[in-house]
Amino acid sequence: MAAAADWGYASELDDVSGAVAIAGIGETAYTKASGRTAREIGAEAAERAIADAGLEPSDIDGLTFSGAFPDFDAAAFHEHFGTSHDLWTSPWGGGMAWAATAPYLAAQAIKRGDARHVLNVFPVAWATQRSSMTGGPGEVHATQAMKQNFEVPFGWFPQPVYFATIMRRQMLEFGTTEEQFGAVAVACRRHANLNPDAVMHGRPMSIDDYLAAPFLADPLRLFDSCLISDGGAAYVTTSIERARDLPNVPAVVKGVGEGYSASGTHWAQQRAFTSTPQVFSAPPAFAMAGVAPADVDLLTVYDPFTVVSLMQIEDMGFCPKGEAGAFVEGDTLFHDAGKLPFNTHGGLLSHAYVLGIAHVVECVKQLRGSAAAQVPDAEIVVYGGYTGHMASTLVLTKDR
Amino acid sequence: MAIKRSDFPLPDVDEPSTAPYFAGAARGELVVTRCTGCDRYVWFPEPLCPTCGGALEWVPVSGRATLFSWAVVRRPFLPAFDDKVPFITALVALEEDPAVRIVTNIVDAEPDELRADMPVEVTFRPLSFATVPGRSVIVPMFAP
Repeated sequence: MAAAADWGYASELDDVSGAVAIAGIGETAYTKASGRTAREIGAEAAERAIADAGLEPSDIDGLTFSGAFPDFDAAAFHEHFGTSHDLWTSPWGGGMAWAATAPYLAAQAIKRGDARHVLNVFPVAWATQRSSMTGGPGEVHATQAMKQNFEVPFGWFPQPVYFATIMRRQMLEFGTTEEQFGAVAVACRRHANLNPDAVMHGRPMSIDDYLAAPFLADPLRLFDSCLISDGGAAYVTTSIERARDLPNVPAVVKGVGEGYSASGTHWAQQRAFTSTPQVFSAPPAFAMAGVAPADVDLLTVYDPFTVVSLMQIEDMGFCPKGEAGAFVEGDTLFHDAGKLPFNTHGGLLSHAYVLGIAHVVECVKQLRGSAAAQVPDAEIVVYGGYTGHMASTLVLTKDR
Repeated sequence: MAIKRSDFPLPDVDEPSTAPYFAGAARGELVVTRCTGCDRYVWFPEPLCPTCGGALEWVPVSGRATLFSWAVVRRPFLPAFDDKVPFITALVALEEDPAVRIVTNIVDAEPDELRADMPVEVTFRPLSFATVPGRSVIVPMFAP
């Protein structure tokens, strides 16, 4: 598996296993267009995470956020809370793949003595922005010269079309069926219907509903594709010792991994077209945590499209490469009955498209025993982040 | 961040990093970038060869390829594609180096005729959009 793969590499990370824990989580409402700005959403998530941790804004001395979408940076923090203290910051946090690695940055900052309580925030208002045709995932991509000239003119745009071709290739290589892609969407919708906070709560979906939905780009159907949402979340990371003094059960950071493809950032040119860099990210994260895939009680992965879930399930080692389609059939992914409870909040497909930050929050809730679709006795939970040429892995456990 | 170009989504034939591709198509040649140092094809173009750091040059290739993957686009994601759906967008792998994938349209074929890795060949066609009246650009498309 990983030993034979030569198309990417893992980042060399220090062993931070057990050094820090997530002690506070905060979420806003997850909605369709809300009319709010990402900055407002970020402030609300931050406020709630700080309160949940039993801290005051002045206790927060570290902030990680998204450099690509810097809606809630240090200036926004201080403006919202009326504070002016020193804040260690890094723009390599936020959501997507960085929702998994932000706790690593926090662990390093805490070890160096740069911070004690590090807040990671990620808000998004793409549902609101879409109505004015500004922002959103499509526009971000269309501004790049290679995409604008070599991809967009041929209608290979936006993301649903990229992933339709990845789906097609996966079907051709491995025999994955449309019902198997549908099994992922149905499981996520089932979980969303147990979660009142999910955008698709109250909208049940059967496999027949999935198959009856229109193709956006054959073979990719409407419900293979994630939502576009407004919402945000945040979490506070601190030392394990400090976390034990705070009100919540600590979610201990046991393993972190980060992997990259060596074939650039463009989906069209990925040498391993039907794989993700989880091939490089997950094994060292599991090794740092001292766990194996079979030990994992809950998997959440960044799931913009059903095929991305199948690829990550394989690439993280939950089943052999090419067999995720058969693996996810039936109740495999269900929170209460499955052998791999998966995206138990509903995921990007049916909870909200807030780019992975809510996946990490869901992992923490599961360890606390407070999730809407609670996995019985969840002790080892994993988030797999993905942004095309990059993947990341976060292993959280109960404090033992 | 918004795209201001009035001829979008036609390719920008004045963009230096991609212009030779369209100049080649206008002459009836499929051209891609190759390293002058290690002779590897590099695609999409980069400022320098990511393997050896050598300079890249645009070179003609045979135009023969295999169909790597495709999608039949049914929803127009941009207004410019309203009158084009359904259409076949595809990735084709060059005969010279299958790691070089050209993003293109498959023409002169119905979706149910397409098979994995079937041979396809370049054909140069004018690309135009109803939303960009009076303009067209010759581009490489592929046909079985």
